Amino acid sequence: MSLLAINTVDRLDRPSAYYVSKNKRRRFNDREDEKPEEPDDKLKNATTLYVGNLSFYTTEEQIHELFSKCGEIKRLVMGLDRFNKTPCGFCFVEYYTHQDALDCLKYIGGTKLDERIIRADLDPGFEEGRQFGRGKSGGQVRDEYREEYDPGRGGYGRAYDEQRQREEDEYGAGR
Amino acid sequence: MAENDRRNQGYRGGRKRRYRDDDDFDRRPQRRRYEEPLFVQVRRQLLTIAESAARRVEDDIQSIAKTVSENYDDEEIRRDFVNISLDLVLEQPMKTPFIAGTVLVAHSLKPELGSEVLSKAGEALQKYINTGAWREVKLLVRFLGILQPVYEGDGIFPLLEELFARAVDLQTASSEDLLGLELVKIIQFTLPYVMISPATGFEAQASALLEKTDIIASTPHALVDLVNTFSPEEDKSAAGSSVISLMQSQLQGEASRGWVLKCLPRPWKDIRDSENDELKSFDSVTKIPFPEIDVPNPVPNGSRSLFPEVYLSVYANQEFDTVPSTSDISSSLIRDSLVDTINLLDFNRVATAKFLIDLDCYFTPHTFIKRATPFDRMRDIPEEQRAWKPEDVAVDAVFSQLFQLPAAEHKLVYYHSLLTECCKIAPAAIAPSLGRAIRFLYNSLQTMDLELSSRFLDWFAHHLSNFGFTWKWSEWADDLELPAIDPRMSFITGALDKEIRLSFAQRIKGTLPEPYPKLITPGKEKDTPEFKYASDMTPYFKEGQELMQLIRKKATDEEIQPVIAAIEEQAHSQGVEDPKIPSTDAFVTSLCFVGSKSLSHVLSCIERSKDRLLALGTESPRARCQIITSVMEYWADQPGIAINIIDKLLNYTILSPLSVLEWALSESVAAGTILSKAHIFEMISATVGKVTNRMRQIVAARTQPGLYEPQLTAIDETLVRERADMQTLFKFIEDSIVSVAAGSNDEQMERGDGSGDLPEDAIIRQWGRRWLRVFCRKAAVEENFITDALANATPLGTVAPERENAADKDLDIADADGQ
Repeated sequence: MSLLAINTVDRLDRPSAYYVSKNKRRRFNDREDEKPEEPDDKLKNATTLYVGNLSFYTTEEQIHELFSKCGEIKRLVMGLDRFNKTPCGFCFVEYYTHQDALDCLKYIGGTKLDERIIRADLDPGFEEGRQFGRGKSGGQVRDEYREEYDPGRGGYGRAYDEQRQREEDEYGAGR
Repeated sequence: MAENDRRNQGYRGGRKRRYRDDDDFDRRPQRRRYEEPLFVQVRRQLLTIAESAARRVEDDIQSIAKTVSENYDDEEIRRDFVNISLDLVLEQPMKTPFIAGTVLVAHSLKPELGSEVLSKAGEALQKYINTGAWREVKLLVRFLGILQPVYEGDGIFPLLEELFARAVDLQTASSEDLLGLELVKIIQFTLPYVMISPATGFEAQASALLEKTDIIASTPHALVDLVNTFSPEEDKSAAGSSVISLMQSQLQGEASRGWVLKCLPRPWKDIRDSENDELKSFDSVTKIPFPEIDVPNPVPNGSRSLFPEVYLSVYANQEFDTVPSTSDISSSLIRDSLVDTINLLDFNRVATAKFLIDLDCYFTPHTFIKRATPFDRMRDIPEEQRAWKPEDVAVDAVFSQLFQLPAAEHKLVYYHSLLTECCKIAPAAIAPSLGRAIRFLYNSLQTMDLELSSRFLDWFAHHLSNFGFTWKWSEWADDLELPAIDPRMSFITGALDKEIRLSFAQRIKGTLPEPYPKLITPGKEKDTPEFKYASDMTPYFKEGQELMQLIRKKATDEEIQPVIAAIEEQAHSQGVEDPKIPSTDAFVTSLCFVGSKSLSHVLSCIERSKDRLLALGTESPRARCQIITSVMEYWADQPGIAINIIDKLLNYTILSPLSVLEWALSESVAAGTILSKAHIFEMISATVGKVTNRMRQIVAARTQPGLYEPQLTAIDETLVRERADMQTLFKFIEDSIVSVAAGSNDEQMERGDGSGDLPEDAIIRQWGRRWLRVFCRKAAVEENFITDALANATPLGTVAPERENAADKDLDIADADGQ
């Protein structure tokens, strides 16, 4: 109900720094005469959220159970490994209304699902193809080079995994 | 930061930057460090006023007032001061006394500043009155109330009198009026702040006003019982009083004791004049007139539906008070500022949680005991030194909102996440407080409003899921001996089920002490429940398996139909009354089994069989009922999945809301025992919610401005039809449950010796009463909503204004654009 122009504390229902910077980068590469797109514009009526840092083992049902606390879910798209078609730790949740999506950012983003802190970001909308991981080995890019062990997301980064495997093999062969 | 930047100014390749993209590199030349501009400093000081226990708030107040008055000519500072002060009053009400204190000091140094704040506040107040935003009105009036010493004459009192006059008009016009009560509440929650202000000599006026509000505030509103946390029918002693009746008696007590109002801070009391170091007096300052406010008659109501509020504390009946008792006005004053803070700042739960944890900064020092003092330690504090436990007071306020009837202001998950955040900030302090709240709620399960028991259950499971599912289950171990339909047992099974839904069975089993693990049956641990047609003991097992294979390979309807026909033929020859029942069972069970992998699997199965399922509904209502039975039976061990599928079937209109109700409340009512199942209440609430949501959408369409014939009639016809459907639905619920509550349900009569005296009979009747209360309230609330909304709708038969007018309007808009 407040009619304030600026709130006295930050709002949690804004697009993330990641989204904004991704847009900014695009703007840099654009020719100068092209009018840069305002990040807020595409998200003005967004009803979809990108949800990240899920465990590979978290099911649709679990996601549904938590996210329907913010409103009825229209569609749920699980993020899949490009090659194995297995969950790779992210998803898109689409609501019927923009307000539900904003409420989700405020009330669910940063809380736990399946005992992991999940991240939610406003998204301009799901498009076919975006459900697949963009990493080299099929999963998400962040899971390629992770140095810490994360049992919920396939252990160590996959690139390191390969390297470790190779080193081990070579060591064995050399002996 | 600065050092870092300097390093990057050198040769680009000098240091490898690992985590930042080159695009992030800021190419602008770095400026030298500079002093923070004055307006930034004022802004920061204002925004963080009273937040730190390490600084004296009086110093901040004086410093802000001094800077602002000395730089009166700096427009930026002046504007920031006025705007941020009012923003804080409207968004962080706990800071109002400190903001008002700053304005008082600023006014004494530079009266023009006072006038400027007042005129801006008056403008805002007028706007909120005109739109019926009564919470904002309350907050601004309170702020203006503390500024009482700067006004000429009676100051704020004429405005309060006028608000009261409107309340009287509204109350006289209708005994059901709620807006008048809201106005009385504004007066009640302003008076204490006027009385703590440095102004003196207004006791008589305050008492006179208080005498007048008594008749309105002390008469219980008919709806109070309906929104009570505890149904007076179940527990007369626990049923709380309404917020305004409580406040009325507390105010009368304060008036008789000379307005001590101990908990409210008075930061202006300790402010010294810079010249003579004497305590500042606010008497001699330049007086200005109170801003002119016009209170329309009748006053409008804003977008929020009004209901009476009931005072709830989850820390009632403890061995000693950890929160102010209801005889103490602090209970109302602190609760009021906390509740407004919680509801206004829903957009940043982290900040809100911080305010709740820092609660003791915003009230008179020593109102609370030291943070995180354990409950047991409190026992050792001598009674006269014992103050309140800040964590309990904060948690209490959040629960009061989570348990607001008929509906909380925000989605319930907001209050969940707020409590989670509080626990994250101060786990050692908050967790034990939550524990005691949980115990209180658990012990109230039999008498608490059923809707609230259900909210408690949902919060409990969700909360535990954020903290590793740890709970001292052992303390309820004895209750596992209770009958399954006992409210406590129903809570335990319901909570474990919800935990599993957010996690998985093995995980939850691992968190449970003996003897709980036996509640997680082997069936619950199975990802895919058995397919009953896999056993040759099941009738029609051959056809069932065949159907399953066909569905799995996405066969066409032509391939499926012969198998269905085969089942029906067999059933018919065996004398089954409705052969469609066994065929539907086989088909839907197969569908569930094939789709058991995930929600999207079952959805695509349903999508492919949509036409067949839709046809069933029109062909045979009993077959339609069988769809629900089959789904519920297949997923009997994981009812969460079952009710989710039912929900989707409703969306496809394969099921109708009434069919779901019929299934639960007549077909499967099982002598009323079904009413004890948490997931059934959840399913029925969700189904009813779908209907009422749709109804509200239609009402919104009907009442939108600028709607004319013939659309008006078209929408109105839909509205009338759907409204009747909704009424039928509620009537059906009422009729089915009334008999359970009265113990006259057929199946109930047949149980045992038919005397109705079995020990479980009383529990079943109680479930019936509690269900009845919830759904009768829902029916009343929805009817009320529609009636209120339609009162202001465009009447039928209104035609669009003439073409010319429309053209004129267009022109006006064009003009406005051109300006």
